[in-house]
Amino acid sequence: MPMTLTQTVVMALIQIVVLLAVIMAVVPIITFAERKVIGYVQVRLGATRIAGGHVGITGPINRAMWALGRVPVFSILRGLPIFMADGLKLLTKEDVIPEKADKLVFILAPAICMVPAFAVFAAITFFPGAEGLFTFPASFPIVGGLKFMGFLTDINVGLLYILGVASVGVYGIVLGGWASNSKYPLLGGLRSAAQIVSYEVPLSMSLLVPVLLVGSLSFRELSVKLATEMPLVAAVPLFLGFFFYLTCGFAETNRVPFDLAEAETELVSGFHTEYTGMKMGFFFLAEYANMIVVSAIAAAFFLGGHYLLPFGLQSQLIHALGAGHALNQPSILFFVGKVGFLLFVFLWIRATLPRYRYDQLMHVGWKFLIPVTLVNLFIAAAIKFVWM
Amino acid sequence: MENLLISLAQNLFPIFGLLAVGGAALMVASRQAVHSVLGFLFAMLCVAGCFLTLEAEFLGIAQLLVYAGGIVVLFLFVVMLVELTKYKEKDIFQKQTKVALLAVAGGLLVVGGALRNALFGPAAKEALTLRPEITNGAVLGNAQAVSRGLFADFLLPFEILSIILLVALVGAVVLAKTERV
Repeated sequence: MPMTLTQTVVMALIQIVVLLAVIMAVVPIITFAERKVIGYVQVRLGATRIAGGHVGITGPINRAMWALGRVPVFSILRGLPIFMADGLKLLTKEDVIPEKADKLVFILAPAICMVPAFAVFAAITFFPGAEGLFTFPASFPIVGGLKFMGFLTDINVGLLYILGVASVGVYGIVLGGWASNSKYPLLGGLRSAAQIVSYEVPLSMSLLVPVLLVGSLSFRELSVKLATEMPLVAAVPLFLGFFFYLTCGFAETNRVPFDLAEAETELVSGFHTEYTGMKMGFFFLAEYANMIVVSAIAAAFFLGGHYLLPFGLQSQLIHALGAGHALNQPSILFFVGKVGFLLFVFLWIRATLPRYRYDQLMHVGWKFLIPVTLVNLFIAAAIKFVWM
Repeated sequence: MENLLISLAQNLFPIFGLLAVGGAALMVASRQAVHSVLGFLFAMLCVAGCFLTLEAEFLGIAQLLVYAGGIVVLFLFVVMLVELTKYKEKDIFQKQTKVALLAVAGGLLVVGGALRNALFGPAAKEALTLRPEITNGAVLGNAQAVSRGLFADFLLPFEILSIILLVALVGAVVLAKTERV
């Protein structure tokens, strides 16, 4: 059934609201998980033993576990209210603009950072099936009887769109650093711009491997065909490319070990030193939204996306069991699980690895990652030439 | 509602075009170099929007990726690193207004003369396409059509262009290099 323009627009608005609500709900959960994961990895007493009080509903269980010499199980969820307090603090804190700052740019910078970070979600496919996630009942006004698809749009240059829009996000960091009119933010902004521009090259190069193997730029087509139509050898470049892509993704999102833009020991807090309140919160939201995007791309292109097995191995399973088998059906749960695992990897690495020095960062980017991603691209091209 | 949306959708091109002109005007008029860069960025984004309304999505995204994501970042870098305040007293940018106006008028004449037919002449009889006979009439995506043009129809000019870029790059390095023994 062809949709009228009104239906298309209303449907898109509904999807956008749902998507935004999900992101806004997931980001605080990630920050909570960050405290907990890093707390457990680094044996931090505050984050791991905040729980286990001797009173309350869980008191008896906690007392029993302490008596057994174990940290109570419910301590995993304790401290959950802290993230609400965090959000409230960000919202209500006084919004300070430095006197010598460039006011217009200072206010624009967090928005420039956040808008691209959210806009890229438009091209991400969360569920590829044409049947959609659910159908609106016919009694609904305007959108009655329409399907709620697992993706917002499926443009035929989806991957390029993601790369292009994400590359605009760097302005927020650079301009925020510059507009603060203070030396550490400026240094942080410049570092981050150089870093992001440099790492965009190997990032694009590692993403070219899936594009080359499939011969399309549409996110949906890429994620489905990479899982279901690959020969066995294609697992080699996909496996290598996954690690290259993830490394570049860490650099693109300014996360440890590449968080040179906000290296506390050198730059106070980098580009957002002068920011307070919700403006700082916008930078924060953008960073976490970018983490989700990087994880979603890695999950969709390298880890098999909406199917069970990673690196294109699902096609072998389809050969073995037939396309109708239950294990060969796409599911949004697989996708969400993979994204969740990759987000955990972000936190895991933050808890484990020390920060790189700036010259090491540039060496890794230009002298190691670009050559190896090129070689990987050659391997993929050879596979495409011989086996496909 | 439906009619309003349709008329809005049909007029997206002029809207983006006017916004792009506004961004360009901001770039020229602003005294603060970083604000100029912001205006330029805005204009580039709007040009990408124009391409999108013309259903040239590959060109639109390439515009976003290359200009907004790459070239303007470099501009911003240079503007932030070069201290422009010390040129303020010298007044070098304000002195050239007359020369600049003359140059713009001359440029307009040349471009207008070249495009006179396109602007005011009769409309073209056939739409400009990238030789559809090669694909046997198969409908291709925008990206495929552009790459067909670049790597099949116009391969030699494309490669020559890339060599020109390489020469410019080497030339810039030679010019900028300080003498070292």
